[in-house]
Amino acid sequence: MRHSRRNRILLTGGVLAGLLGLLTINAGAMHIAEGYLPVNWCLLWGAVCIPFVAAGFLSIKRRIDAAPRAKILLAMCGAFAFVLSALKLPSFNGSCSHPTGVGLGAILFGPLTMAVLGLIVLLFQALLLAHGGLTTLGANTFSMAIAGPIVSWLVYWLLRKAKAPASVAVFAAAALGDLFTYVVTALQLGLVNGGMVKFLAIFAVTQVPLAIAEGLLTVVIFNVLEKYSRAQLQELRVL
Amino acid sequence: MGTDRYAYQSRLRRVSPLPKLALTAAALLVCLCCNSVWVGLATVLVMGVLITALGGLPARVYLHFLKIPLAFLAVGGLTILIRSYPAGAAVVAALPVGGRLWGFTAGDLRQAASLFCKALGAVGCMYFLSLNTPVTDLTMALERLHVPHLMVELMELIYRFIFVLAETAASIRVAQESRLGYQGFRRSLRSLGTLSSMVFLRAWRKAERICTALDARGYTGSLTTLAGDYAPGLWLFPLAAGVAAGQLAVLYLERMAVG
Repeated sequence: MRHSRRNRILLTGGVLAGLLGLLTINAGAMHIAEGYLPVNWCLLWGAVCIPFVAAGFLSIKRRIDAAPRAKILLAMCGAFAFVLSALKLPSFNGSCSHPTGVGLGAILFGPLTMAVLGLIVLLFQALLLAHGGLTTLGANTFSMAIAGPIVSWLVYWLLRKAKAPASVAVFAAAALGDLFTYVVTALQLGLVNGGMVKFLAIFAVTQVPLAIAEGLLTVVIFNVLEKYSRAQLQELRVL
Repeated sequence: MGTDRYAYQSRLRRVSPLPKLALTAAALLVCLCCNSVWVGLATVLVMGVLITALGGLPARVYLHFLKIPLAFLAVGGLTILIRSYPAGAAVVAALPVGGRLWGFTAGDLRQAASLFCKALGAVGCMYFLSLNTPVTDLTMALERLHVPHLMVELMELIYRFIFVLAETAASIRVAQESRLGYQGFRRSLRSLGTLSSMVFLRAWRKAERICTALDARGYTGSLTTLAGDYAPGLWLFPLAAGVAAGQLAVLYLERMAVG
């Protein structure tokens, strides 16, 4: 009798703690916090990022050499990505989260440019907002500025080539890019400490609604942009 | 925004950024490599003392900043802590669910605690840098560490534009909220979409106007600035060595105590 009562108290406590965790996880769930990865994994993820960032840097350099004005525009785009990620995104379950901007950035600027801008934005997020960290910068850059944008970009262009409507392509690109970012983050955490399935399960519960919300948001943004700034989108070769 | 405001008020603001970077890097590396509960706790404490005593930051503010990564650390720690065991395993606390025990053993608890404290210590190290060094000083340091010039320039421009755009976004948000723009999910989504795209549009326009203004003033493709006058801050190097030695001493004591 007493045993079952203790179990029930434990169960209630566990469920409450779990729910609390789900509600708070959204705030900085995507960024792996400072000090969370061992040194060898930090170095490995940093090394994986180098070729992508270098390629992105060279492509940016080419663009700027051709037209010096591109530098200011690119910097504005980077700042836009930062501000976008600081906005509060409404979600179905009442909790708040931040959009990642992974999909929108990849569609607008392309995955190569995104790698460099993403690196800078993630560095500023770590320093200014304590989202992410200096040692985990490589891992975060890989998941949010390289892997996610590449998936978004591929999905977008494949769907556009397949003559899908623009809104469908944008939604799929943003939502899938978002989800893939979570999967990579779960993988990065799971590789170190084991329990990849658990990380994936937690992310699946909390992040699928967020990915859908971000997909819808990106569609709304894209519709407005298409209406009012056709010239800019053409300059970025999105349309 | 965030730590930046306090970095400009810090007493270490005028000290050259390189020694500060060195102290952070040394403490961070030692803290990560030690992977122990006590080293982590000692690091976060020492960094707190350094930030409050040398930088002049109120302890309350430091504690407030330490809370930010706690959510991630708590959830991540719990995920590692809770594992499933076959019935009858030697667990400290567990719930029987579906014929298996879900809980943690003493080893799991130790692992999760050391991860949590290590990460807390590392966050403290990062705060020593970000609460004492404005970003503009940091980009100057990166330039001296031979990061490509274009990269540094992009960072400086992005840093400046962040504040411009954040202000725009904040005033649009107030305007929308005062017109009940965030009542319910659908409307929030639409308002947020409008806000984001308007910020993008304005960013683009602003960038073009800045370009025109720069061109009018003889812009040749790069913005060069003079480095500020810094105190050399060489005394921070022995301090960094002292902090690292202290961390190693804590590790040694812990090993002795555990046996």
